[in-house]
Amino acid sequence: MAQTNTILSIAALLLILINAKTNGRHGEGLKAGLKQMMRSAPLIVGALILAGMIEVLIPPEFVEGWLSKEAGLKGIILGTLGGMIMAMGPYASFPIIASILSSGAGLGTVVAIITGWCLLSLNKLPFESGFFGLKFYTYKLILSIPFSFGAGLVAHAWDMILP
Amino acid sequence: MKRSLVIISLFTVGLAAVALVVGGWSRVLEGLEVSAATALRSVFMIFLSFVIMGQIQVLLSKDVLDRWLQRFGGMKGILIGALAGGLFPGGPYIYYPFALGFTGKGLPFYIFFAFILGKNLYDFSRIPMEVAMLGSRVALVRNLVTFPIPIMAGLLSQRIFASRTLESIFLQTGERDGADQHNS
Repeated sequence: MAQTNTILSIAALLLILINAKTNGRHGEGLKAGLKQMMRSAPLIVGALILAGMIEVLIPPEFVEGWLSKEAGLKGIILGTLGGMIMAMGPYASFPIIASILSSGAGLGTVVAIITGWCLLSLNKLPFESGFFGLKFYTYKLILSIPFSFGAGLVAHAWDMILP
Repeated sequence: MKRSLVIISLFTVGLAAVALVVGGWSRVLEGLEVSAATALRSVFMIFLSFVIMGQIQVLLSKDVLDRWLQRFGGMKGILIGALAGGLFPGGPYIYYPFALGFTGKGLPFYIFFAFILGKNLYDFSRIPMEVAMLGSRVALVRNLVTFPIPIMAGLLSQRIFASRTLESIFLQTGERDGADQHNS
C-alpha cells in the first residue's frame, strides 16, 4: 500500500508540474479534482458500506465453489454476467469488486467482472442505444461478451502460471 | 450519480437487513468494521486519484483529442482512437455527446468504435482508483489483458464495415437528423 501511495503521489506531482509548466492550469485541475471528489463522496461512502456488508455475507463455500481460482470457467462466466448487471460508476463498483476479491475470488473472475462492467454494464444501455441506436448497442454487446470472457480466461491463465 | 446513490443505498439497507437476520447486530457491526478499515486504508489513495483525475482533465482538452481522431486512419487511427478514448476526460454525459459529434464528419466507424471501447476499458483517469481499491497486481493484469481489446474490436470492425461511418451503418434517418442537429 505504501508503494501504491508513493506511485500515485509521484504521478499526481508530475501532472501538476506538467500542467504548471505547459498551460498554467494546475490550480484549475486541483479544483476540478477536489470538486469531483466532494460530489462523489456520498457515493464512495455508500459503496464502502455496501462492500463491507457483501464481504461479511458472501458464504465462503460460494466463493470457493463459484468465484475462486479453483472455480475456473464457472467464475469467469459468473464474473462476466456479474459485471454486466453492475450498473454503477467506478466509485461505487471498485469497492464492491474489492470486497469480492478479498472474499477470495480468483484473478480471472475479478478481471472478467471488471471487463464485463467496463464494456457491458447496464447503465451504458440508455446512453449507447439513445445516442447511437439499439443496433449499435447490440453490435457492441455481441463483440464484448467474448472479449470479457477471453480477458477472464487470459487472467486466469496468468494466475495459474504466475500466482 | 443520484441514481447510483439510490441503488447503492437500497442494496446497503437490504444487505444490512439480511446481515441482521442471518447473524444479528454483531454481523452488521462486523460489516461496518470492514467498511471502516477499507475506508481508512484507501482514503489517501482516493484523494490522490481525484487529484490525478483533475490534472488529466485540464491537460487534455476535447479540441486536442478531436484533432487527433480526425488526422489518422487504418491501424494508426485505431490505436490513436483507442488511446484518445482512454485519455478523454469526464463521464458519460460528456463523452457520448462528444462521440456523437463525429457524425457527419466522415470518421470511419472502426476508429469511432475503438474510441468508445478505449474510453470504456482504458479510462486512464480511473486507473489510480482501480489501483487504490484492488491493488497494483490486479490493476496491472487487468489493464495489460484488456489493452488489445479496443484495437482488436477496431480491426474487426474495419474488416466488417471497411470505411463506412457510424451514421451509414447504425443510425436510422430520424437519429441521423438528430445527430446533424447536434452538430449544427
